[in-house]
Amino acid sequence: MTGFFLSQIQGLDPLTSDEVLVAQNVFFALIALVMILAALKMVTTENIVHAALYLVIVLAGAAGMFILLGAEFVAVTQILVYIGAIIVLFLFGIMLTKGSFGTEEGELRERNRMAVLVAVLIVAVTSGSFIDSFRDAELNRQAPSTTADIGDSIFGQFIIPFEAISVLLLAALIGSVVIARRDQ
Amino acid sequence: MMIIASDPLLSSDIGFSVVAIMLLKVVIAFALLMVSVMLVIWFERKIVADMHNRVGPSLAGPWGILQTLADGIKLFFKEDLLPERADRVVFRLAPYLSLVPAFLSFAIVPIGGDFTNGGDGTVSIFGHRTLLQVADPPVGILLFLALSSIAVYGVMLAGWSSGSKYPLLGSVRASAQMISYEAALGLSMATVFLFSGTLSTSGIVSGQATWNWNLVSTGFIPFIIFVIAGTAELNRPPFDLVEAEQELVGGFHTEYSSIRFALFFLAEFMNMITMSAIAVTLFLGGPNGPILIKQIAWVWPILWFFLKVMAFLFTFVWLRATLPRLRYDQLMDLGWKLLIPASLGWFLLIAALNIGEDRGWSTFLIVPIGLIVLSLAALLLNGAIKKAKDSSLHAADLSEISEGVDQ
Amino acid sequence: MTSQYLPVIALLVLAVLFAAISFVVSRLLAPRSPNDRKQAPYECGIIPAEEDPNERFPVRFYLVAMIFIVFDIEIIFFYPWALSHRSLGLFGLVAVVIFALAVFESFIYLIGKGALEWGPNKQVKPKDSVVSLTRNTSNTIRRVGVRKVGQEGRDLPNQSVENKEVSS
Repeated sequence: MTGFFLSQIQGLDPLTSDEVLVAQNVFFALIALVMILAALKMVTTENIVHAALYLVIVLAGAAGMFILLGAEFVAVTQILVYIGAIIVLFLFGIMLTKGSFGTEEGELRERNRMAVLVAVLIVAVTSGSFIDSFRDAELNRQAPSTTADIGDSIFGQFIIPFEAISVLLLAALIGSVVIARRDQ
Repeated sequence: MMIIASDPLLSSDIGFSVVAIMLLKVVIAFALLMVSVMLVIWFERKIVADMHNRVGPSLAGPWGILQTLADGIKLFFKEDLLPERADRVVFRLAPYLSLVPAFLSFAIVPIGGDFTNGGDGTVSIFGHRTLLQVADPPVGILLFLALSSIAVYGVMLAGWSSGSKYPLLGSVRASAQMISYEAALGLSMATVFLFSGTLSTSGIVSGQATWNWNLVSTGFIPFIIFVIAGTAELNRPPFDLVEAEQELVGGFHTEYSSIRFALFFLAEFMNMITMSAIAVTLFLGGPNGPILIKQIAWVWPILWFFLKVMAFLFTFVWLRATLPRLRYDQLMDLGWKLLIPASLGWFLLIAALNIGEDRGWSTFLIVPIGLIVLSLAALLLNGAIKKAKDSSLHAADLSEISEGVDQ
Repeated sequence: MTSQYLPVIALLVLAVLFAAISFVVSRLLAPRSPNDRKQAPYECGIIPAEEDPNERFPVRFYLVAMIFIVFDIEIIFFYPWALSHRSLGLFGLVAVVIFALAVFESFIYLIGKGALEWGPNKQVKPKDSVVSLTRNTSNTIRRVGVRKVGQEGRDLPNQSVENKEVSS
């Protein structure tokens, strides 16, 4: 029965690599759409926990983008660090200080104006630097980066930033303790 | 050793027969999980009952084996309550966030396939070669870690959205516990990667094909840490503070009833099965084992895999019947002050041994030096722990409290 | 390479469908008769006390999440190194040990400062009003749904409930 079914559909042509590329673009468009909608909902929602959850969707979408580009280790890092740790920290922060979020009308409008300004600036700076650094260069899409390759480049080309990060982490930890201790 | 992990099924052009096989594997994995959850819940209740000198479920089906099914069907007929202070959207979302990662993390587990004698673990289905696992992405095992970090959200949001005191306390406790032990879990896995040289689960299994299980080559310590941290990650006894009945009623799912409660329950047991399967994959050689009768060679790896997983499931139940629940400060101390430093130190020691071996250093020199460095670090840590204990809790404070109450 | 994730997506869809269908089936089969007793927060029938808006969780939970981020990042850097540590040799080992030492150092500082102490601390001091003779169960506890008659007469009138409790 199954064999018959399979022999029937086996006659159809398999996807060629160009068609796979089309599928990739369709997925890209879908993820991008979800990310944009979630980002819009995030800044417009009234509930701060909902905002954090919309942010999770945006970050998960970014992880999906990395997978589409073949950068799987970066995608997993995105999930582990941003979704699994940083947003959890946000949520703890929200639960720690439950209630008391003053949202007065005027204050909110004032803040929104600043937020729009900052957002426009960020978009301008990042897109400007992206366009400037890549120009017409075409990236090699046949070379997915394996995790071992990432290890090689961290401990080769990027060894100084890597060690600098340890100092940054040290400062972050000590800073958090100092601030928390003062509160108690 | 370079292994480019991928399922041969999906590496070439994707035709419709490939899609059909893929969907078949997905459906089989789904059904397997559902049936094994049903049996595992029965198994746990029966074993615990034996250990308590009770009979346990005995009426539904032979030896009560259909008890879980009966309970599940019953829950469909129960009223689904929405607490008045609940955040409606998040309250409805939380069971999904618990259940979906539980399903997905099983996808990377190889449940069979012959990896011995140069075999690559693939089997042939309708003329296509494929691995006996749903997916084999190159970052394999990290996908499991990523999904378990998403599962924290299910617990956390369930408690928060209930708008009630005990669920909130339970969920904050639970999520702090889960993220604490996730660090220990990740570090103990890192030691395995030192030997496997790949993150893909099929690669890790084929690296252990000749009885050189990672359990022995990583030196037992990472395995012990993995099992303890895994038990805590699952919120299983003795780490089930999340649902410490005496303090928190049912913990994060107190307000959940009917099918929503059933889904949390399902996710919990699915995670238990997946955690056992991952432990088997990482440390106990996965489906590797002797192939006794050549005619049915494909059966043996599957059999060995299930036997190994069963041993873990029994251990989880055994722990539940044996050990009393930890206190919250003991739980946090165990995770942060013992497991994380120990797994970190062991990881660096094993890595140093490997590198020393390559450079032809004498093992008799590296081991003592490594141990001296580690014990210095342990002494330092111990000093810090002592200092913190001295400055935070004194007998004097306690007597002060009891005097205050007496007056 | 990306096609390796197709089965994961298929399983995701199946899992979501399963949960959604369960909800629909349960909605069709289950009775629906909510009343205020059922919908009250579960505190064994007692109406929850008004929560103090300034009440907060211990800051330690926040600290644990903060420390976890740092360890998570550290572990993430360990993985690629673990895969290629043999080819990177002594240089890689030294680099990782320096990195780990920096994090370990701050970890020691953290523990020494008592950031991971979960036992009772000095701040736990008794309030003067912990024991008060004027407060007892009859004037502090209000029971959910007992003061009012619920929907469809499911809730018993005030008087008979109290009689029942006395007799049992």
